[in-house]
Amino acid sequence: MSTQAADAVPFARTAPAARRRRRVKGSSIATYAFLTMCCLFFAVPLYVIVVTSFKTMPQIIEGDIFSLPRAWTLEPWSKAWNELCTGIECNGIKSGFLNSLAILAPSLALSISLSCVTGYALALWRVRWANGYLFGLFMCAFVPFQIIMIPLILLTAAARIYGTVWAVAVVHAILSMPLLTLMFRNFYKDVPVELMNAAMMDSGRFWRIFFEIILPMSGNIMVVVLILMITGIWNDYLIGLTFAGFGNQPMTVIVANSLITSRGEVIYNVDMAAALITAIPPLVIYFGLGRFFVQGITAGAIKA
Amino acid sequence: MALRMSRISPLVALAPSAAVTLVAFVGAILWTFYMSFTESRRFPDYQIDLTDWGRQYHRLFNDGAWLIALKNLFVLGIGSALAIVFGFLLAALINKEKRAEGFFRTAMLYPLAVSLIVTGLAWRWIMNPSLGAENFLHEIGFAHAKFNWLAEPNTAMYGVILASVWQSTGFYLALMLAGLKSINPEIWNAARLDGAPFWRLYLEIIVPMMKFTFLTCAILLSLGVVKAYDIVVAMTNGGPGQSTWTPAYFAINAYSIRSNIGFASAAAVIMLALTAATFLPLVALVGWARGREERAAT
Repeated sequence: MSTQAADAVPFARTAPAARRRRRVKGSSIATYAFLTMCCLFFAVPLYVIVVTSFKTMPQIIEGDIFSLPRAWTLEPWSKAWNELCTGIECNGIKSGFLNSLAILAPSLALSISLSCVTGYALALWRVRWANGYLFGLFMCAFVPFQIIMIPLILLTAAARIYGTVWAVAVVHAILSMPLLTLMFRNFYKDVPVELMNAAMMDSGRFWRIFFEIILPMSGNIMVVVLILMITGIWNDYLIGLTFAGFGNQPMTVIVANSLITSRGEVIYNVDMAAALITAIPPLVIYFGLGRFFVQGITAGAIKA
Repeated sequence: MALRMSRISPLVALAPSAAVTLVAFVGAILWTFYMSFTESRRFPDYQIDLTDWGRQYHRLFNDGAWLIALKNLFVLGIGSALAIVFGFLLAALINKEKRAEGFFRTAMLYPLAVSLIVTGLAWRWIMNPSLGAENFLHEIGFAHAKFNWLAEPNTAMYGVILASVWQSTGFYLALMLAGLKSINPEIWNAARLDGAPFWRLYLEIIVPMMKFTFLTCAILLSLGVVKAYDIVVAMTNGGPGQSTWTPAYFAINAYSIRSNIGFASAAAVIMLALTAATFLPLVALVGWARGREERAAT
């Protein structure tokens, strides 16, 4: 971290006067030192989770939350995976992990296909009231979930999917539709007019143009949307809690249940290992594909 | 130019999304609004007692927990606004020194990729009364330092605020960095030649130029605050007592614990009204300011 500040000095070239240059150097070092301290503050919770998950319980009881593990142990991790208790069952969070995966696939398929086609139709075809509809979608994107929750429960129950993975997938698709449609639409509206005209001359067919021209050129937006949705669905708690039903609950719900409602002795290292396992998949995506992640989360904001 | 088929196909393609909008958004909102005037309990009851149609709202605003939830919403809104301030300050500093921007952004934005449940549990562990950071502070000599905020009704909300500021600062930082990037580079050069100090340049020129970014952040913040639920569940589960209830928590609780659809609907309607009351004026303000700017440009 400190090398960062040192490296910065030779590049701090701003003013011609030597006296002025020295002042800029000093402020640069101060800036980098301050930013590095902020990074450390941001890292604290992650650090604490990681070290706690590798400590033994006797060391945790000593009370030094920031210390490194004296003897690194993987036992909390295997306990969290295989034996963590939620209510009366102690099957670990591995079932939650599998449930989260089972929720992820249909949720992604439904939400992306729905929004992608809608965005394409609104951006590139002459549809009456398209702008009014877009404004309506923009409004829908900001509706609090609670006001549509009970009707959605009743609707999914009427469709006989309440309490299954499909209910969760449908609700994810519904809730993400406004924002994703706006994202796809904003991407497709920049498709060159010449390209679209040529496609119209060639076949003029809505679905053929979609599958043969538009979809193959959607790679960039697809990656952004996929990352946004994967992290969003994986980290979701409320929809999984409300719609998944017993036995299909995603990882976040299992972890929250076992850690928040647990009675008696708390086994902190196992709890922290469980929390960390839940956080690992989105963190891997984040650190691997951060650029697209930033695009995704800022895309929603830009239209406001 | 368009063939006949291609007049119908777009409408067919739009049908599912239109159905979702009409049923799951418009219809569902109207249904909930209607339910808030009924006395539905566990199951929907479509009868409205016209002599006492405001009963659920009357109950709601006489419910101590709801008043706590409204107060907490306000406190959380003010407290979370710190995330915008910190986000801007950090963005300004990062943007001032061009190097290592990617590194700093990555290191400060990662909380956004983590579930709020995990975030809440981590902070709950840090604020553990006997084994957490308080104990550490005592050991290094701050004998009277208190950091078991979540255990006290008076301070529990500050714990929630700390965690949500930690979680969202990176997000506003990313938005602010994008906003700073879009500023005409000549302004930086002009300011450098002028020799104006860093803070004056920002306060007098950059902040006014970034008003859209600030408004966007304010809109997103207000939406996020009204929705605050996961973080409360993970950190305090509403406690101690009911001291950290939020409207979102209240509405879910009224349905899933109290099993009262009418009451939960009334709470949800007020949530929607609160969202609209902050969101619509801000959106209108953005629209108005944009329009004025465009007119000035032509």
